[in-house]
Amino acid sequence: MPKYVMVIDVEKCIGCMACVIACKKENNVPDQHYRTRVVEEVRGQFPHLRMELRSELCNHCENAPCIDACPTRASHRAKDGTVQIDRKKCIGCKACILACPYDARYSHPKGFADKCTFCDHRIKEGIKPACVETCLGKSRIFGDLEDPKSEVSELLRKYDASVRLEFAGTRPRVFYIKKKFAGGL
Amino acid sequence: MTEITITGLNAITHPYLEVWDWRIVIYLFLGGLSAGMLVMCSIANLRIPKQPVDELAQCVRAPIIAFITLAIGAQFIILDLGKPQSLIWGYLTFQPLSLMSWGTWGVPAVLFANALYILAVIPKDQRYRLKVPFLVNLSEKLSSKMRPIAKLNFALGIFLGIYTGVLLSSFSSIPLWNNATLPILFLVSALSSGAAMIVIIAKKAEIKFLFTKIDIWLIVAELLIIALFFYGLYTSTAPYKKAIEPFFSFTNEQFIFAVALIAIFLLLPLAMRLKLGELKEFKGGFHGEFTKSQIFRMNFAALLVLAGTFILRAAIVYAGQLTKLSPY
Repeated sequence: MPKYVMVIDVEKCIGCMACVIACKKENNVPDQHYRTRVVEEVRGQFPHLRMELRSELCNHCENAPCIDACPTRASHRAKDGTVQIDRKKCIGCKACILACPYDARYSHPKGFADKCTFCDHRIKEGIKPACVETCLGKSRIFGDLEDPKSEVSELLRKYDASVRLEFAGTRPRVFYIKKKFAGGL
Repeated sequence: MTEITITGLNAITHPYLEVWDWRIVIYLFLGGLSAGMLVMCSIANLRIPKQPVDELAQCVRAPIIAFITLAIGAQFIILDLGKPQSLIWGYLTFQPLSLMSWGTWGVPAVLFANALYILAVIPKDQRYRLKVPFLVNLSEKLSSKMRPIAKLNFALGIFLGIYTGVLLSSFSSIPLWNNATLPILFLVSALSSGAAMIVIIAKKAEIKFLFTKIDIWLIVAELLIIALFFYGLYTSTAPYKKAIEPFFSFTNEQFIFAVALIAIFLLLPLAMRLKLGELKEFKGGFHGEFTKSQIFRMNFAALLVLAGTFILRAAIVYAGQLTKLSPY
C-alpha cells in the first residue's frame, strides 16, 4: 500500500498563494472557507528580521484525533492511508473540528465537516494534488513514502524534517524541511 | 518579536474556535441537571429499605421532570448538528473512542430507563392518568421492580453526569478541557444541580430537607474541585497555563470569564450559607411542615446552585475555545 506524504520545503515558498487558490478552484471550496493556508511568520527586531513562509493543511495524521472523535465513521482512514470524510455519513456535530490540533477543518455551508483530501480524486488518476501541481517555487512535494526512490523519500532522507506540534502525538504525514530558519510550527 | 500573517483562514477556527455555542451549553446543563435528578431521586427511593412503592412515591415527579429536561436538552444538540438528517448513521455504528457516539447511544438509553422509572414510581391512584391501558398494565408490572429500576437509573445518571464532562475533556487540542478533573467537576455540579432541583420541586418538607443537607456536601466538593481544576492547569505547560488566563485577568478582553468565576464563588457559597442556616434552624430534628419563608429560602438557595452550575458550564465551554494547542 502506498503511504502518501507531503513534504514542504519552507525555503522555496515564495508566498504567491497560488496553492490556496488552486485548492479552492479544484475542490470547489465555498466562499470564505479554505482547505489550505499560507502562514507568513516574521521574527526578530528590525532590521534583523527573518521570515518564513509556510503552507499548512490537513496533516493526514497516522494517529488522527478527528477519526477517534467521529461518532459515525464519516471521518475515516482510506485504503491509501489518507484521512477522508464521507459526506453522506457526516452529521455535522463538529467534534472533529474541535479535535484537530491543526485547525485544518471547517464546517461546510451544507452542514458537513470538510478539509484537505490530498486531492484523492487526482491521486487515484496518478496526478499530483492541485496545490503541488501549481506550486511556483516547488515548495510542495508530494509522493509515496513507501517508494524509496520517490522524491519525498529522498528529501526526508537528506534533510532533517519536522512536523507541526510533534508533542501532540498525532504523527502527521506533512513534513517540513528547512535549512536556515528555526522558528514556529 | 513574532508577527504572523495568515492567508486562507476559516472563521470557525480563527482567531478563536467558534465551534460550539450556547446550544451545547444548554445541552450540557440540561443533561447534567437530568443526570443529577435521576441520581438523587434514586437515592430518595433506595435509602429506605424494602418499603411498599406507594410509601416511596415522594419522588414521583422527579423522574418525569428529569425525562423532560433531558429530552429538551437533546433537542439542543440536534439543533447544533449541521446535518441532523444524517443522524441515522450514528445509530448504525458504535465508536467506543468517540464520546459523541457514547452520547448518541447513551442519551436514548437513559431516556428509556428514565421512562421505565416514571412508570415504576407512579402511585396506584395516579395510574389512570396514563390513559393507555398498555401503559397502565406496564406500570403495574414495573412497580414491583422499582428498586432495580432505581438502581439502573442511579448508574445511568452517574454515566450521564460524567459523560457531559468527558465529552469536553476528550479533546486533546483544547487545553482548558483536556484534563481528568473536568469530568469529575461536571459530575459533582450535575449532582448538585439535581439535588437543588429536587429541593425546588419536592412537595414533602422531609425530602426538601434531605436534599438540602446532601447539596451542602456537593457544593463543598464542587468548590474544592473547581480550585483543583484551575490549580492543575496553572501548574501545567504553557498552553494549559494560557487557557486559564481569561478567568484571572480583568485587563484581558475576555474579562467576562473572570466575572463568571467570581459569580460562581459568590453564588455557591451563598447557597451553602443559606442551607447551613436551615440546618441550624432544625438542629433538634425536623418535625412537621416548613413555613412559607423557610420554603422560599430553600428554593432561593437551590436557584443559586442552578445558576452557578449553568454559569460554570457556559464559562468552560466558551473559554475553552479561546486557547488552542497551536500558537495561533
